Amino acid sequence: MATPPPDTPVLNSEPAAGRPVRNLEFKATLLLIFTALLVAGSVFYLLHARGVFQPTQSLVLLADDAEGVVVGMDMTFSGFPIGRVRRVELAPTGAVRILIDVPQQDAHWLRSSSVFTLVRGLVGGTAIRAFSGMLTDPPLPDGAERPVLRGDATAELPRVLATAREVLENLNAMTGQDAALRGSLANLQEVTEKLKGPQGAMGVLFGNEADAKKLVAALDRTNALLTRIDGLAAKADTQVFGPDGVMKETRATVTELNRLLAEARTSLSKVDAVLVEAQGIGANVRGATVDLGALRADVDANLRKVEGMINELNRKWPFARETEVKLP
Amino acid sequence: LSPSSYGRTARAALMRHIYLDTAPILWWFTALCALLTLVITRIVVVTALSYGLSQYALEMVIRVLVLELIPLTAALFVALRCTIPNGAALAEMRRNGEFDAQSRRGLDPVATLVLPRALAGLYATITLAALSCVVALALAYLAVYGWTAAGIAAYTHVFGHVFNPSVSLIFVLKTMFFALAVSVIPMASGLYDVEGDGSRESAALQGLVRMFAVLLLLEAASLAGNYY
Repeated sequence: MATPPPDTPVLNSEPAAGRPVRNLEFKATLLLIFTALLVAGSVFYLLHARGVFQPTQSLVLLADDAEGVVVGMDMTFSGFPIGRVRRVELAPTGAVRILIDVPQQDAHWLRSSSVFTLVRGLVGGTAIRAFSGMLTDPPLPDGAERPVLRGDATAELPRVLATAREVLENLNAMTGQDAALRGSLANLQEVTEKLKGPQGAMGVLFGNEADAKKLVAALDRTNALLTRIDGLAAKADTQVFGPDGVMKETRATVTELNRLLAEARTSLSKVDAVLVEAQGIGANVRGATVDLGALRADVDANLRKVEGMINELNRKWPFARETEVKLP
Repeated sequence: LSPSSYGRTARAALMRHIYLDTAPILWWFTALCALLTLVITRIVVVTALSYGLSQYALEMVIRVLVLELIPLTAALFVALRCTIPNGAALAEMRRNGEFDAQSRRGLDPVATLVLPRALAGLYATITLAALSCVVALALAYLAVYGWTAAGIAAYTHVFGHVFNPSVSLIFVLKTMFFALAVSVIPMASGLYDVEGDGSRESAALQGLVRMFAVLLLLEAASLAGNYY
C-alpha cells in the first residue's frame, strides 16, 4: 500500500478503517479455521441425523391408497421412530409400494409376524405404525413386502354425522308437540300436583277421594283390631304362663309321662326276656317236629309191611272169597 | 511491482477485511440470536403445549429459526454493519480518485479494494449464519429438554427429519445467495452508480434498496421451494 487514502467520515465508517490490529493475519486464519470447522461439523451432524452412517435394511409396505404418505415421514414402533419412508411408488398391479429404510440397529423390533398400519388422524399427518406381538418370531428379512392395514379417522366422519343426525331427529320426535314424552311429562306434572294436594300419594294411587277415605277407614279399623288382639294376647299370656296357667300343669303332666315311660321301658324289658324264652321253646319244638318226621316214616314202613303181610295172607288163605265173577 | 507483491497486498487487505468485518460483530450477533432463540422457543413450546401439539414444537422451532429467520437476520446484520458502509467507502474512494491512484501504481483497484470487501462480506454472512444456527440449535435443545443428554437421539431425529436433502440444498443455496447479495450489491452500487451527488447516504440508500429487493426475492424463492 502506498499513499494512505484521505481520512473522511465515510471512509472511517467502514469496519476495517479502525486502528491496526496486532497479529491480524494469525487471528484471521484462526477465524477462517473456526468457520471451516463449524461448517464441517454442521455437515457431519446433518449427515449423521440423516442416517448416512447407519446401515439400513429396506421394507416394502403395500397399500391401496397413498394419501397422506410423504417421503421422509417416520414409521414408529411403540411411539419411537424406527424407519423412514424413502420412496412411494405405484406397483404394476395398481397397489402402492411404500419403501421404508429401517436402520439395522432398530430392525430387530420388526418380526415376521409384525403388523403395519397406516393411520390418518383428524389432527396431524398420517402415521405408519408397526406392531410386533411376538418378539420371539424370526426377524423380518431385508426387502420384505408386507401389506399395510389402513385406518382412517376421517372416513368415519360421514357415518358419525349420519348417526348424529338420526339421534337428533329422534330427539326432535321425542320432544315434539304431540310426542309421548311430552304427554308423559304433562301427566307427571299432574301427578306431582296431586301429590302436593290434600290427599297426597293416596289420591294419586286411588284416583278418587272416596276410595282413599275407605282405605283410611280400613286402616283405622285395623288399628282397633290390633288393639283388641293385643288385649287377647295379654290374656292368653296370663292363661298360659300365669301362676295357675296351663304351662305349669303341662310340665307336671310331662313329668308323669316320663315316669310312665320308664315303667313301660321296664315292662318291655321283661317282655323281651319272655320272648327269648319263647324263642328257645320254639327251637325245641322244631327239633321234636324233625323226630316226628322220622317216626312217621317208620310207622309208614311198618304199615306197608303189615299191609303186604295181610295181602299175602289173603292170597294164601284157603277160604279166600272168590271175588271174580265168571260169565257163562 | 511483481505479481507476488501484488498478491501479498491483496491478501493482506483480504485478511484485514475478513477479520475486522467478522470478529467484532460475531459475538454480539450470536448473543442476540441466542436471546431471540430463547424467546421464540419458549413461545412456541408453551403455545404448542397448550394446544396439545408439543410433538410439533421442536420441528417448528427448527424450521422457523434455523431455516428462515437466522440466515436472513445474519445477512441483514452484515449488510448494515459491514457491506453497506464498505460500499459507501468505495464510492467515496472512487470520488476521491483513489481508484485512479491505484491504477497508476499498477494495482487493480477491483482486486485490492473491491474484492477483499466483497469476500469479507460473503465470509461474514456465512460465519454469522453458521455460528448462530449452531447456537440456536443448542439453545432450542436446552429449552425443550433441559440439561440432560437423554433427548439427543430424538432431537437428532427431528433435525434429520426437517433437513431432508431438498431442504438442506435450499438452505445452503439460500445462505450462499444471501451472502452474495449482501456483499456484492452494495459494492456494485458504490462502484458503478455515478448518478446523484455520490454522497455516502445516496450510495448507501441505493445499495440498501436493491439489496432488500434481492433478499426479498431470494426469501420468497426459498419459501416456495421449501413449502410448495
